[in-house]
Amino acid sequence: MPAADPTAWTDRSRELSQLLARAGLGDRAAFATLYERTHTHLFAVILRIHRDRAQAEDVLQEVYVNVWRSAQSFDAAQSQPLTWLTSVARNRAIDSLRRTQTQPQLESAHRGDEGEEENVIDQVADETAGPLELLNRAAEARALARCMQGLSATQRQSVALAFFDGLSHAEVATQMHQPLGTVKSWVRRALLSLRSCLDGAVQRDAAGSET
Amino acid sequence: MDYSRAELAERLAADYVTGTLRGPARRRFEALLPAHPRLRDAVRRWQQRLMPLTAAIPPQRPSPAVWQRIEARIGGAPAAAARRAGWWARLDFWRGLTALATVAAISLAVLLASPPPAQAPIVVVLNAAPPAGAPEGTVTPASFVASISGDGRAVVTRPIVNVSLEANRALELWSVPAAGAPRSLGLISAAGATVVRRDKVLDGTAALAVSLEPPGGSPTGAPTGPILFVGRLTS
Repeated sequence: MPAADPTAWTDRSRELSQLLARAGLGDRAAFATLYERTHTHLFAVILRIHRDRAQAEDVLQEVYVNVWRSAQSFDAAQSQPLTWLTSVARNRAIDSLRRTQTQPQLESAHRGDEGEEENVIDQVADETAGPLELLNRAAEARALARCMQGLSATQRQSVALAFFDGLSHAEVATQMHQPLGTVKSWVRRALLSLRSCLDGAVQRDAAGSET
Repeated sequence: MDYSRAELAERLAADYVTGTLRGPARRRFEALLPAHPRLRDAVRRWQQRLMPLTAAIPPQRPSPAVWQRIEARIGGAPAAAARRAGWWARLDFWRGLTALATVAAISLAVLLASPPPAQAPIVVVLNAAPPAGAPEGTVTPASFVASISGDGRAVVTRPIVNVSLEANRALELWSVPAAGAPRSLGLISAAGATVVRRDKVLDGTAALAVSLEPPGGSPTGAPTGPILFVGRLTS
């Protein structure tokens, strides 16, 4: 599975920062290169939240037009370019969900709502990687692996559905057949323990690289 | 610091970045961001924590028509032709600049509206750097004005003479301390106003300088090209 290696995330930073800086000053060729290097990742992120390809392509288009217009506000000292770009893409995808979701039915790809009672954790295996599988895959390469162990299975599942598939608390609750309040507190506690674990790891890394 | 509010900010930022903050609450939160640096910091930290998770998603290729539509939206001309025209000569550059000016105006409005009463901006005139060996006190033409917001969080630069720049060169703005290494404030345009937003522009800044750099800016974090323009802060 040719999933991007998370360590490449930081390795690609410098080049992407320069491309963004040039795009910010109106350099169209740099912007074209930036698109070439990043669009398959951003499209994949959008497509998980927006299962309809045509709609996902519309969102992708909006994202890059937006990036072109706001590239100058990118601050390489504050954020990594791929983090910034992915955030722009996710925000746009979630905002456009809001519009389509005023129509009643959920996206067809949200499965497992037929009343089966098996363990919610088993629901994710499918033709495409489920959100939980993605979370596990992401965890393999990073300090994240250790941090993930600190979460219960239900916490992990709830965060994965919300983060990768863009489900709201209410949708996660429906999918996991759990009360809304329970799901909210799973997500919240999962995020809190991820935060303390990851921040701890960052501090250890920083201390390690200075010595 | 108000502890309960800090905790609430942190929780909202986490919900926002995870995507579970929805609807009107999400819009209200976004509207608060420009004026609340602590909220922005919290959001940025959550983005740094969570976005690398997306590296696990296998890339997906959209239809090539998407790029054609983007190109059409941002001004249409193919990259090569656009380069010949020079980026300062293109309509969309000025459109972009107008958008930026709007952003600048809004930022300024936010800065002005923010609780600590806004201090007067500091205006710095940058003159062409005197040639090597020029006697002390040589008068050189004023070339740029930089206006630093009173709270030191933004600089607006604007050329006041025609600054010619080769296509594969960029101008980088530096904060020069009384002693020590200059700090990059970012790339600026030779053709029009640039808004640079940094948290602490004024910290230790004795002078502003502009250097000539490769297209993406100095690769080393220190000026690599000649210093073209310099202006001291007078307090």
